[in-house]
Amino acid sequence: MIKTIQKSTWIYIAVAFMLVLLPFFKDERWFLFLMIQVFTFGIFAMSYDLLLGYTGIVSFGHAMFFGLGAYSIGITLNFLESTFMNLFLGILLALVLGGIVAFFAGILTLRLKSHYYAMLTLALASLFLVLAEKWRSVTRGSDGFTFRIPELPGPLQDHRNLVVYMFCLVSMVLIFFGLRRLTESPLGKILVAIRENEGRVESLGFRIMPYKVIISVVSGVVASFAGVLYAISIRFVGTNVFGIDVTLDALLMTIIGGVGTLVGPIIGAGIIEFAHHYLSDLSDVHWIFERWIILFGIVYILAVIFFPAGIVGTLWHKLAKRKHKKQEMKQKTSDKLAS
Amino acid sequence: MDLFLNLAINGIATGMLIFLIACGLTLIFGLMDVLNFAHGGLFAWGAFVGVWAYGITQSFILSMLAAVIAGLLLGLITEYLIIKPVYGNHIQQILITLGFMLVLSELIKVVFGPNILAASKPPYLDGSWEFGDVTVIKYRALIIVVGLLLFLVIMAVLKFTKIGLIVRAGVMNKEMVQALGINIRLVFIGVFMVGSALAALGGALFAPSSGVAYAEMGMEFGIFAFIVVIIGGMGSVPGSLVAALLVGLSNGFMAYYYSDLAMAVTMILMFIVLIFRPEGLFRVSGVSNK
Amino acid sequence: MTNTLLKLEQINTHIEQFHILHNVEFEVSPGEVTVLLGRNGAGKTTTLRTIMGLNNASNGTVTFKGEDITKLPPYHIAKKGIGYVPEDQGIFYGLTVGENMRVGMRKEDDATKERMEWVLELFPDLKKFWKKPGGQLSGGQKQMLSIARSYVNENDLLLIDEPSKGLAPVIVEKVIESIEKMKEKTTVVLVEQNFYMASRLGDRFYILDDGMTVHHGDMSALREDEELKRKYLGIA
Repeated sequence: MIKTIQKSTWIYIAVAFMLVLLPFFKDERWFLFLMIQVFTFGIFAMSYDLLLGYTGIVSFGHAMFFGLGAYSIGITLNFLESTFMNLFLGILLALVLGGIVAFFAGILTLRLKSHYYAMLTLALASLFLVLAEKWRSVTRGSDGFTFRIPELPGPLQDHRNLVVYMFCLVSMVLIFFGLRRLTESPLGKILVAIRENEGRVESLGFRIMPYKVIISVVSGVVASFAGVLYAISIRFVGTNVFGIDVTLDALLMTIIGGVGTLVGPIIGAGIIEFAHHYLSDLSDVHWIFERWIILFGIVYILAVIFFPAGIVGTLWHKLAKRKHKKQEMKQKTSDKLAS
Repeated sequence: MDLFLNLAINGIATGMLIFLIACGLTLIFGLMDVLNFAHGGLFAWGAFVGVWAYGITQSFILSMLAAVIAGLLLGLITEYLIIKPVYGNHIQQILITLGFMLVLSELIKVVFGPNILAASKPPYLDGSWEFGDVTVIKYRALIIVVGLLLFLVIMAVLKFTKIGLIVRAGVMNKEMVQALGINIRLVFIGVFMVGSALAALGGALFAPSSGVAYAEMGMEFGIFAFIVVIIGGMGSVPGSLVAALLVGLSNGFMAYYYSDLAMAVTMILMFIVLIFRPEGLFRVSGVSNK
Repeated sequence: MTNTLLKLEQINTHIEQFHILHNVEFEVSPGEVTVLLGRNGAGKTTTLRTIMGLNNASNGTVTFKGEDITKLPPYHIAKKGIGYVPEDQGIFYGLTVGENMRVGMRKEDDATKERMEWVLELFPDLKKFWKKPGGQLSGGQKQMLSIARSYVNENDLLLIDEPSKGLAPVIVEKVIESIEKMKEKTTVVLVEQNFYMASRLGDRFYILDDGMTVHHGDMSALREDEELKRKYLGIA
């Protein structure tokens, strides 16, 4: 068991290393920007996966944390001087706010049945959307606002996009390993048990609510951080960060990549961001590509019916099966030899 | 006073439209424990089909009929392709119907083009009546009358016909209905189709009233319908009427005084109900809601 | 004893991952009352539910009137002529007594109406509460309604799950009388914990223990067999 974990960890580290080298071979602006999007949405989708995959909760309002993060950093840097100190302050504000909101939202909603939960989170997110639209003195309403990020020292300023790229990449890798650690801990095991059979866990003497609240807070904090990265990468905040589309993107990425796998949502984010980019380009060839979301919707529906485990989950199953078979074969041959 | 009455009439008309979506939703949930997040898509489809048919036939009645037929067919397709594979699994239901909602909305743009369609009323429904200070827009009155009539018909069918009894019994205990020799799945498909047709009719009625049909209206009104189902109590038709009127009215008044807070008020209404009375205003015995 | 109405062969039933029934063997002759006995959790209710198709047998066959009904959906099985009175009575709480009866009627022809008259003579109380919602009935009235509802159709077999549960002795007596009358018309499979009721009504018995049929025979034999009663039924 320990060996397999180490093996996969090496693979992840190798991939991360390649991603570090990537911009030195392909440094067009649009490509860097697309990759940054993949990283930020990868983080956001992981936070979604934490809820969906490890507690079986479908949230329709995850965008509220994303938006909260984006607005926190944006407002801080817009109203205060654009220094690294304030950047740090903004990030801290985003994480704390994300955690607090997730805590109260969790206490309010987590005891409800799944579809009530979905509706309530949707309601909460739309309240934030209204707040962002109405509190014009701070948020500039639906126009949104641009803000400056602190200048980097010396030559680095010329490679600002590269720095943001690295920052997002490193964040994603660290968060990935952190969350993996969390889900493999005893806490993670209990969460999976809750997802599988809530009643049984309860009858074993565990109180379920605290665990669900903990995971919802972690998820909210991570999602808020993704919002921070998003805002930093485009240096603009508008009300769209609270939109239902943002939540749907995370849902799509998680489902297509693989629920409950953590690495799946990152892959899902990559697929969807790149597919979006290239398919939109193809709209000159055929109008259907303008409506690329249809293709995704259909893929998504088929995935829910036929591959509920997503790309990564399905692969894992296959690998596990093969390994199992191999072991069985070995067992058989050794049995034969013994007899 | 006249302002108050006018706002009230507007609110009731909006409430009736929401009710048309919500009553199918609530029955489908009560009967089969399926929450269909794609239901609002039928509303948008109804609107586009209605506008399209009116453009061709120039007959209001025929355009409504076209929307109903489209709703029946789409309902059948939805049940067969989307709902059937995920019975009994709430998470999958939420995920798949949400995906189908996206597809339905985008398909509208494929079939009818990506632009907003202008919708017009027939001349005989245009204009308004004056009663002293009060102006009643004819078309809104029509919506209210149609909504009320449909509510009465649905209630009568549920109350007095055998099929209605079976549907009600199925909402309470579907296993026992089966054990009494009734193929609940056929009943369910029927309810699903009728519910879809009602939503489509709602959309077709809405478009001429607002003057436009746009793909996103499905999502917008679908969310309202969900809130209404939750406030009214899952599985209760009278509950959805009351809740739909409540939401319609509060929305109507808020939209006049603080238009930006209209949505927020509706959401807060749902919050309050969910926290203090999670089973909704009208409880249907036997439907679990834990 | 030459012809069997209902036959269960090697029935195994799982509920989720739990293996409830193990190779249950079970035969019912027409015109008799067969009683299923056994402790709580022995698998009696699951056996009835498997016959009705409400739980699916993972293997084995259920044969009714010479026809394999194992894989049929519940409504189809009911239409073949099996009436079911579940343990929780299965009353539609929001419907009135009359509406409950009407949902249970598979046909609305004259023969069924005549039968309804007969059923209401058996349970005159129901007529009194005809317009009352099922949820407001007392426990005994609910049980009567549930049994009455299964009598309305011309069934060849009735499955009745613990009709005496939680009822006062007077009411139990009434239920026994009604089943005695019904016995003249159909075959009955009765799940019962109440040995008094079981021995008054039963012609044959089966004992289930841990999901297996461990004993069967004539009811008269069981009445005398103190050893067997103590071992499986906890009756001293």
